[in-house]
Amino acid sequence: MSLLTIQDLAIRTNDLSLVDGVTLDVQKGEVVALVGESGSGKSLTAMSVMGLLGDGLFVDGGTIKFDDTDLTQASSTTLNRLRGNEIAMIFQEPVSSLNPLLSVGAQVAESLVVHGRASPAQAYTKAIEMLRQVGIPEPESRARQLPSELSGGMCQRVMIAAALISNPRLLIADEPTTALDVTIQAQILDLMKDLTARSDTAILLITHDMGVVAELADRVCVMYGGSVVEQGPVDDIFEAPHHPYTQMLLKTLPRLDEPPKGALFAIPGNVPSPKDWPNGCRFQSRCDRPSDRCQTRPLLQGSETHRFACFHPVGDAS
Amino acid sequence: MTLKRFSLSGFLSLWPAWILLSLVVAALFAPAIVPFDPDRQNLLARLKPPGFESRGAAYFLGSDELGRDVLSRLIYGARISLAVAALSVILSGAVGILVGMAAGYLRGWSETILMRLVDIFLSIPAILLAIITVAVLGPGFINVILVLALTRWPRYARVAYGQTLAIADRPFVQLARAMGSSPWRVLAIHILPNIIGPLMVVATLEFGLMVLFEAGLSFLGLGVQPPTASWGSMMSSGRNYIATAWWITMFPGIALFLLVLSANLIGDRFSDHIGDGK
Repeated sequence: MSLLTIQDLAIRTNDLSLVDGVTLDVQKGEVVALVGESGSGKSLTAMSVMGLLGDGLFVDGGTIKFDDTDLTQASSTTLNRLRGNEIAMIFQEPVSSLNPLLSVGAQVAESLVVHGRASPAQAYTKAIEMLRQVGIPEPESRARQLPSELSGGMCQRVMIAAALISNPRLLIADEPTTALDVTIQAQILDLMKDLTARSDTAILLITHDMGVVAELADRVCVMYGGSVVEQGPVDDIFEAPHHPYTQMLLKTLPRLDEPPKGALFAIPGNVPSPKDWPNGCRFQSRCDRPSDRCQTRPLLQGSETHRFACFHPVGDAS
Repeated sequence: MTLKRFSLSGFLSLWPAWILLSLVVAALFAPAIVPFDPDRQNLLARLKPPGFESRGAAYFLGSDELGRDVLSRLIYGARISLAVAALSVILSGAVGILVGMAAGYLRGWSETILMRLVDIFLSIPAILLAIITVAVLGPGFINVILVLALTRWPRYARVAYGQTLAIADRPFVQLARAMGSSPWRVLAIHILPNIIGPLMVVATLEFGLMVLFEAGLSFLGLGVQPPTASWGSMMSSGRNYIATAWWITMFPGIALFLLVLSANLIGDRFSDHIGDGK
């Protein structure tokens, strides 16, 4: 039984559909990467799992099941019980995601206090222990400092500590390394891999960085134009992508094991804005093999483990 | 933080704070320092100029039309001014901040209702509202505070609302919600400390205004009632004698001027440090 199952999720504003047809699942202890360009609906999907869609945005269909609870129907009490307890989240901007006026120790302890799982004093002691686990030197004195006294990488460690202190079963990481230096990125990824493996925490990793995916993910879910276009095990996706978008996304990665062949590859054009979504396949305007069939919307097809939404998959001659 | 060596110019540049502080001390220890009972009349010493002596006791700032000591009444009047201003700032601030934060954070229909209410209150002339309220409730110390709170809370609500809107979208507030914090906890722990600076600036400036309003209401006879000494009522009763006994109105006027000026200067100093709140 899956930990998290999203089925046909649709998110919209009053007059615009932003996400439709997101279907994915996360098993216990598994790392699933949600990949796509900016504007493809990755973060909206994550925020709807947390029940934290912004003003004017709402879920317009589909289900988000965590265990047996449908989060789209859950009351705010139920959501508040799950958030920070069973489901934790890490944001992209480590420094601005911490309260500038609260010591980092108190912020790490926050979720234990909020959910009444420890007294403030006990929670603070656990927070110091957690700061030690995420590799912050001298955690006792660091815990008393404010976020502004710490570097970006340190703040990201603090946020990871705050997310994992409650031992959540699912961690949603929204571009956790985008704002960090490349050297720090690798450390943070190792840290997340290490800590979640120890506690059997599943991760829904949102990123547009295929390097991060290769580093961390077990399975990959590729989004384009508000829906899932391909999903499968990370090795299959990297070695034999079926959807032309996935293939192009992989081609944009510069490779170290081949001599450079001129300019880096870039996918031509831009992600169409939700206002300008074409009928049928949303990738047709940038695809290298569109046909008349693409005027109808392709559905996810393929094997149980590796599915894609395309009429003309890569490697298929027709 | 390091201890700075005492410097005379630094000490003097804080003069608004020293004036406020000495008024607060004088008000707190009024019974111990006044030369006369502020309400004791002496018809033999009516309308005497500053420095008048009677049976070994000096009327430093003169006496009023009933022979009461102006200095003593001035010191007791400081109690009224400071207490009314402080309590009405606390009350209107509490109400306004709560309303503003709720509107800015909860959004939706509560935002619409609360902020329209603020607009309505801001469009009613304050003095008119005060007169109506006093007419209904009757004058008096508590009622003056209620009137002032009723007319001034929208100022705080406006500022708190704007600041909350700006803070509520910041990622750390989102993260707090993602940790399962209740709306009240988010407001109290994550939003309030981050918006309190500009609100303190408003509160300090409002403090001076409240002193003026109280004096104004008492001058009109709508505030604290005689014989209780209040700067406003002292000026009001002294204005009949202004040609012959200027000290009855002059000294409360100077006291009022100095208190309001220091409150405003402290507020300006505050806002220089904190950023804009006005």
